[in-house]
Amino acid sequence: MQQVALMVLCVVLALGMQSQFPKYLNLDNVEIVLANSIGDGIMALGMTIVMITGGIDISVAAVLQFTAILVGMLMNAGAPIPAAIVVTLIAAAAIGWINVTLMRIFNVHPFIVTLATLLTLRGVNIVITDAGTVTGFPQQFSAIGRGYFAGVDHLRNSVVLFAVLAVITGYALKNHRFFQEAYFIGGNRRSARMSGIKVERFLVFTYVLNAVLAGVAGIVISSQYMAASISFGQNAELRTITAVAVGGASLSGGTGTIVGTVLGWLFLAMVRNAFNMTGVNTYWQDVVIGVVLAIAVFFGEYLKRRQVTR
Amino acid sequence: METILRVEDICKSFAGNQVLHDVDFSAEVERIHALVGENGAGKTTLMNIIGGIHQPDEGTVYFRGEPVSFANPLHAMNRGISIVHQELSLVPNLSVAQNVFISGQTNEMVPRQKVNRFGFINWKELYADTRDLFDHVGIDIEPTTMVSKLSVSMQQLVEIAKAISFNARVLILDEPTSALSEKEIDRLFGVIRELTRKGVAIIFISHKLDEVLTIADQISVLRDGRMVDTVRTEETSRDEIIQMMVGRHIEDMYPSKSSGVGDVLFSVEGLSRRPYFHDVSFTLRRGEILGLAGLVGSGRTEAARAIFGADALDAGKIMLDGKGIQIKSPTNAIQHGICYLTEDRKTLGLFLKMLVRDNIVSAALNRFTSQLGFLRRRAIQDESMHYVDYMQIRPPTDEVEMISLSGGNQQKSLLAKWLSAKPKVLIADEPTRGVDVGAKAKLHTDLRKMAEEGIGVILISSELPEILGLSDRVVVFREGTVAALLEGDQATQEEVMKYATR
Repeated sequence: MQQVALMVLCVVLALGMQSQFPKYLNLDNVEIVLANSIGDGIMALGMTIVMITGGIDISVAAVLQFTAILVGMLMNAGAPIPAAIVVTLIAAAAIGWINVTLMRIFNVHPFIVTLATLLTLRGVNIVITDAGTVTGFPQQFSAIGRGYFAGVDHLRNSVVLFAVLAVITGYALKNHRFFQEAYFIGGNRRSARMSGIKVERFLVFTYVLNAVLAGVAGIVISSQYMAASISFGQNAELRTITAVAVGGASLSGGTGTIVGTVLGWLFLAMVRNAFNMTGVNTYWQDVVIGVVLAIAVFFGEYLKRRQVTR
Repeated sequence: METILRVEDICKSFAGNQVLHDVDFSAEVERIHALVGENGAGKTTLMNIIGGIHQPDEGTVYFRGEPVSFANPLHAMNRGISIVHQELSLVPNLSVAQNVFISGQTNEMVPRQKVNRFGFINWKELYADTRDLFDHVGIDIEPTTMVSKLSVSMQQLVEIAKAISFNARVLILDEPTSALSEKEIDRLFGVIRELTRKGVAIIFISHKLDEVLTIADQISVLRDGRMVDTVRTEETSRDEIIQMMVGRHIEDMYPSKSSGVGDVLFSVEGLSRRPYFHDVSFTLRRGEILGLAGLVGSGRTEAARAIFGADALDAGKIMLDGKGIQIKSPTNAIQHGICYLTEDRKTLGLFLKMLVRDNIVSAALNRFTSQLGFLRRRAIQDESMHYVDYMQIRPPTDEVEMISLSGGNQQKSLLAKWLSAKPKVLIADEPTRGVDVGAKAKLHTDLRKMAEEGIGVILISSELPEILGLSDRVVVFREGTVAALLEGDQATQEEVMKYATR
């Protein structure tokens, strides 16, 4: 139901914008809309799984920044592009692993642990870039974020990558025995454990995957801008979580779908673009996004309440 | 008859408190074996040891003649011992089939995964196998149904099927009937009997002696952590069982009825909230216990909730002490002196993570607050210890977390909470659910005492004997409205059932 509502909203918004700006549905513009938010989209996929288990990860924006900077620095130091990418993703995985291990060892809420990571990484990012911008990447690197897939005009590699990742995670979440564990852990962690699900193992997987996806997003963004700086990913964690929540996932866990998340992401991406195009003061953006989130959450709760039998 | 399970000399302590002393117990296939005992007697602990949730401090568990030690419940399940707990543990957002065959380590008995080589779920096989399992057990639920759409009794059947799917040879049911209606209980018993015929040994923990006497072949009685005796049902009687449970005769299960009833304290007229109930009217006099009888779903709890202000009324008048009053919310109701002891103590009445003390005063905080708004700790402590004594709450302290108390003691605490609020009218909804015989008798005496002190008591219960034994008058509900009002001696089981059903 929520998904249907989102689809309707997207269509309505698109038509509305089209009426104001006849060139809105041009492929040129569609390309921009998607590309501007692609980082958020990739991260939202991982965040969906995290939230289904009832957890949260607010360090993703800092991971995005970090990986963007890292891959840039590695390339500048002479590393071949594939190597730089692999090392960067491993580093991202390590961060995810640190997050979940701290949660386990100290039995601290995910919010607190990832908050600590967020702040620490942000600091690290400032230090290693000296608050400046890293540039000078080899030209081929831009293929990820700017190149077109199989030469098809307007179809960026990054968008294709996102689509592929979305399809894989969506299908796996619905149909793969291992990914199903997310719902059990989020629904009732104690009985998940008593049913033989290795909860710790799955959580490690989830947070590492989430960090790796944030790393992918970072690489994509730095490829798109051919630069990396601490100005990247500002508030990205909030946008990502918002997209997932608007898409139907509840913070308490147990619910959420990739389809919903993608729709939520798409809607928010369109809203952002609408602001840019209409020239409305960007400060109002946050207000609108906040309202959208509130409505989405209330709507979701309302639907849930109607479903539950007495 | 094969003795499939046997435990010998089991001892178990928790934090220095010995809960089980040298307990022997055995269960045979194709037999239903009931385990009864007062709250805190050790029934659940014993079962948890058998099911692999706890390890015994001393003693051995023998399964199929071999000593076994289960590191965790899944280990026990894989070998064939499954427990269906009182608290259901299904995940609401997934289908029934997914819940039954969830992933879990099974390297032994039955291939549960229903997946292909790469781990992707084979939906056709999953639904088919679930359907087969349900047919085998005798349940009629569509495997694709979302668990959130099922009633509690249906969910319970799913849990049982799930336990069976592990090829359980021993199935332990912990208080399976506490939330079920008569019809659902019959259906459950049918399923249990069918399983017995198929060679399963069933262990049935229950407080409801009538049910136990109906369905069990053997009854074992635990008292204070010791096994008193095991008897065959056909060779024993209710009284004998009770005597074993409490170590004394319980004569007169119910306290004597009211000696003198006063004037009308509280009345309702034409209460309606469609589709739940309509045109509900009755009066409550000082000093009497008014019972609300009726089948599950006949609207009693819904009407009570509306009187208490938890739900809105479409129409109707409420009079207290001769004056018409409007009740807009529970806070409002409590201010007027109307209190409601809820059906579901865990979610609607108690604060499990807080101390007993905090729970007891939770409805009467105004009485314990100073002018500036600070809590008067000393007064709170006095009040809560007074009730701990009065209600004989065990352990005899108010400084433990509510969640650590047994069901019966939690219920006593809940009653204490509402007593502390000094009500004029108390609506008690299933006040002795999940409570053992000894504590039950005490609660009944307390309710009668309250009535004698002038508090109007409205009793809602699905146990007809309780309603009949305790109430001075009975209002019979049927399909959302009042079908009959029976005076004391008119109220018999037959009369009530006559009006409660078509």
